[in-house]
Amino acid sequence: MARTLAMFTDTSLCIGCRACQVACKQWNELGMEVPEWTGTYQNHAHFTDKTFRLVRFIEEPKPNGDMAWLLMSDVCKHCAEAGCLDACPTGAIYRTEFGTVDINQNTCNGCRYCVSSCPFGVVSFREDTGTARKCTFCNDRIHNGLGPACAKACPTESIQFGFRDELVAKAGKRVETLKAMGFKDAQLYGADSKGFLGGLNAFFLLLSKPATYNLPEDPKVPQRNVVTDSLLSIGSALIVGLGALLAFRGRGKGDGDA
Amino acid sequence: MLKTPGWEMMIVVYFFLGGVAGGAYFTAAIADNFGGTRDRYVARVGYLLSLPLVALCGLLLIADLGVPSRFLNMMRVFKFWDPMSIGAWAVGVFGLFTFVSSVLSFSEAPSTVALRRKLALIGMLFGFFLASYTGVLLSNTALPLWSQARLMGALFLASGASTGMAAISLILFLTGATAGEGWGKVKKADRFSMVFELIVLAVFLVLLGAAAKPIVSGHFAPLFWGGLVGIGLLVPLALDVLGHRAKALGAVAAVLVLAGGFVLRYVMLMSIQA
Repeated sequence: MARTLAMFTDTSLCIGCRACQVACKQWNELGMEVPEWTGTYQNHAHFTDKTFRLVRFIEEPKPNGDMAWLLMSDVCKHCAEAGCLDACPTGAIYRTEFGTVDINQNTCNGCRYCVSSCPFGVVSFREDTGTARKCTFCNDRIHNGLGPACAKACPTESIQFGFRDELVAKAGKRVETLKAMGFKDAQLYGADSKGFLGGLNAFFLLLSKPATYNLPEDPKVPQRNVVTDSLLSIGSALIVGLGALLAFRGRGKGDGDA
Repeated sequence: MLKTPGWEMMIVVYFFLGGVAGGAYFTAAIADNFGGTRDRYVARVGYLLSLPLVALCGLLLIADLGVPSRFLNMMRVFKFWDPMSIGAWAVGVFGLFTFVSSVLSFSEAPSTVALRRKLALIGMLFGFFLASYTGVLLSNTALPLWSQARLMGALFLASGASTGMAAISLILFLTGATAGEGWGKVKKADRFSMVFELIVLAVFLVLLGAAAKPIVSGHFAPLFWGGLVGIGLLVPLALDVLGHRAKALGAVAAVLVLAGGFVLRYVMLMSIQA
């Protein structure tokens, strides 16, 4: 495997221009969608089959009563332990040599198990193609030595693309700088490869706790309980089977054979 | 912000029929192997019932994909740790068992009977599997109602047993075959399964805790408490106990159990997707 690539989204630098969201749409030929009212400048409310990069506009009350903008360009996290990849029954969802997660549109069969297995609600079902869609990490671009379209378009370097180990080191320094500047809640989300989901290959620097951004504090791989659940099902089968066995072995009146 | 997969009516029906087919088959296998010769009619009913149901299951699964030929993509790989992958394979293998068992159920030649019994002992493992894997599949997603308690598979299996047995007893009643003792034995096994299902359901709800909200309170609560717990389990149990001698009441109970089994799948899938 090649050296792991990553995207580091530093939300402290985001100005909410949505160049990333548009660049993503253009490059990946994701068609127009009817906008929806979300009560803020954000559109759409969540990832869709045609929105893979989404700038979140979050209003957070300040102690003095004013509102502060928290801007976050959200994307598929390309988890090191990916629930969608585990769920896929056709092998359409695969890990690339760069460590990112992509969906082969030719082998996806549209079962939608991945949609319910993403801890972040990223994977979306596209009706017209009947397949699951999500950010490809611009798989076509990175194979040609280009960064993802979103990172390329970002005017403030809020989205950075590079080797994961280098970006994590850079991100760590950035958190220290921000803390020194007074952003006491500045923190990395998904940078730790020993942390949840084995680390995220698209990780974030947040200015508030993850819940503020609608991100789970401690997401888990959905398939971690297959063995437990299966054993309990076998136990259930043994009990039910034994019940039936006793019922059928019990002799009724007038029954002489066995 | 989690997403739901949009598994709606076709999958509800599939989960329900898969449970009935699995339950009917393993009940038949047990009756065939451990019951008397007079229970063979019960076994035949079970085998013959599971065959068309599992065929229907396969069709529903394929239809839900939108593009039917894409079902073949599932046959490219076998991921033994993935319920969706082994489930697709198991439907096919179980289908073969129900077919062979059904064919063999028409012969009373000793060698055929011996073969049928042995095959059914293996096939019954796939029956148990089909009845329960759909629950394990749901409980290994990111959605709290489906994944917070570890008993969805066990619950679906118990429901598959109670509905499979109810379906057999209903056919015995409709074909006028309630005179033999097979009827009483199936009803007895069904009562046992229903009591077990109630216990599993209670523990399941306790384990779910706050995640049970979509089914125990709100829009779907009347259907859950009334349709599943009441009409689907408690009422048929009461009918079976009170109307022990009245076979018509037993048949009514069987219909209610089947309705309850359907409501269980409906509520579990639709309460967070509708």
